[in-house]
Amino acid sequence: MVQLSGIANETIRAEIEEFLERPEEIERNVELFSRASPAMQDIAAALIEGDNETVDRLTVAALADGVHALEIMDDGLIAGMGIVGIKFREGYVFVPEVLVSARAMKAGMAHIEPILAASGVEPIGTVIMGTVQGDLHDIGKNLCIMMLRGGGFTVIDLGVNTSPDEFLAAVKDSEARLIGMSALLTTTMPNMARTVEAFKDAGLREQVRFMVGGAPVTPEFGEEVGSDGYGKDALACVALAKQLALEVRR
Amino acid sequence: MTEQQYPRLSGEWMTPRRRFLSALYGGRVDKVPAMTLSSVITLEAMEIADAEFPEAHLDAEKMARLAATAHENLGLDTVMPVFHSQLEADALDASTWWGTKDNWPAVDDHVLTDPEDFKVPSDYLERRSFKAALGAIRLLRKRYPDVGIVGKVYGAWSVGFHMVGIENFLMDTILDPDKIRRYLEVLLPASMMSAHAQLEAGADAIMWCDHANRELVSPDMYRDFLLEMHQQIQAEVGGPSILHCCGETTDRIDYFAEAGWDCFHFESQVDPVKAKEIAGDRMSLFGNINNPTILFSGNYEDCYEACMTVLNAGVQGVAPEGSVPLGTKMEVLAALADSARDYSNAHRPDGRFVVHDPPEAGGDG
Repeated sequence: MVQLSGIANETIRAEIEEFLERPEEIERNVELFSRASPAMQDIAAALIEGDNETVDRLTVAALADGVHALEIMDDGLIAGMGIVGIKFREGYVFVPEVLVSARAMKAGMAHIEPILAASGVEPIGTVIMGTVQGDLHDIGKNLCIMMLRGGGFTVIDLGVNTSPDEFLAAVKDSEARLIGMSALLTTTMPNMARTVEAFKDAGLREQVRFMVGGAPVTPEFGEEVGSDGYGKDALACVALAKQLALEVRR
Repeated sequence: MTEQQYPRLSGEWMTPRRRFLSALYGGRVDKVPAMTLSSVITLEAMEIADAEFPEAHLDAEKMARLAATAHENLGLDTVMPVFHSQLEADALDASTWWGTKDNWPAVDDHVLTDPEDFKVPSDYLERRSFKAALGAIRLLRKRYPDVGIVGKVYGAWSVGFHMVGIENFLMDTILDPDKIRRYLEVLLPASMMSAHAQLEAGADAIMWCDHANRELVSPDMYRDFLLEMHQQIQAEVGGPSILHCCGETTDRIDYFAEAGWDCFHFESQVDPVKAKEIAGDRMSLFGNINNPTILFSGNYEDCYEACMTVLNAGVQGVAPEGSVPLGTKMEVLAALADSARDYSNAHRPDGRFVVHDPPEAGGDG
């Protein structure tokens, strides 16, 4: 069995020891970071600490050393963000800390994405993301987008105040089958239902899967508006997208 | 001893305004008030008042007519004309999208990147958003002298979200905390001027919105950035103060009480029994009927039952947790006033004042 002591980076060891509680998550992360190279562990540690300049520098250095872009993304950036996501879910860190880590992830991804795109690595799926009509809040949506991209999805970001017609047009234009709707306001949540209705009216409901999320949104509300799943946070959003991506592929 | 010459005070003998203010301070009431603190405006209310969004946001007469439906048609003890959250930000030159009949206004561009660039405009209180809101409060005061009027202010923290952008603002709480402190310092006078102007126009109390909830930041962040400023507000606001903070706030209610707020308007994520336990007698509590599940998707009975749960927890007033979705049915909202009446009738042992059951005894609804 892989031991915590097998991880070279002190920050990563401390993070796992202090903040991870679920046995399966401890096991998965110990295994992941034990097999990751010290350079990848350093990238993950810098990302957890929100140090965008170090992530940028280490990513460039790793690429120059011949490390594959996919390895940097999986073992450095996504692995680090995975720890941040768990800490957020458990209430050890809050939105500001996640935003700062997300900024660091973006710094690394800026070097990785063009390489992956050019090498023809196939995405797991394409997700259309938007904050629903009347709602201009986008933090939660942006965090989900960042995690989805890190999780191997292509994301079409429709931004905020997205009307049902805009969601429909995006599906027609892209042939994407996953749609993520976000709302921060209880006053705009009903627009999730309107969007689902618009897809029914257009005869497209059966071809797509809807994910919903946002601070006031609940699993019950998600069910009520006719969505296919609810994600409590960005980590849950990625897990749900992976599950729904399998459904639409069948 | 002569026969009593005046009618004995019993049943609902207080005016709604007196009841609201007494409850706000945790005092004696003849009936637990049912209130609007955030907006209870619905599409139905717009038809009734012949005043629609978005025009009603910038027209004092329409705003007043629409606000009055809370009392006239829902039987609530208060009215609250500042339906939107753009009052201060719009007057501070943030770009505002005023929405549509069935969509709320929002700030659609952020204008501030450096606190040293900020200055409250000299005609701040004469700008369109204030002209409408202050005008509406004056009209309501004149038309409803006995009804509680709630003014609404966005505090420096939440105006900061509007002016700077929430993402940038929150990131700087970590990357450049001194910059955030400076933002709060320069923005506070704009919020304070708004509060003073609304009180002068006739508002009975100010609901002060600063969104430092658990979904966004830690309780330590409230303590470090806002606690002292909120204590300062109590000394300067010049009227009864109600704090509104969205979302889950259980872990910071103690700080809210320490800040000196007269009352806290809390949301449905917070257990009212737990909230009461933490707040004790230091701060009144108004809340917290769930919007999406109960008011928007539920029926009259769901709302009535939810209100009874809150009332049985011993909170001082019942109200929706936040601005209700515009498609909410007024027949559902009617349960707010009905439940408060029924609860109070069942908890008025001397016929004059409501006495809540002790927490451990629970309630009989």
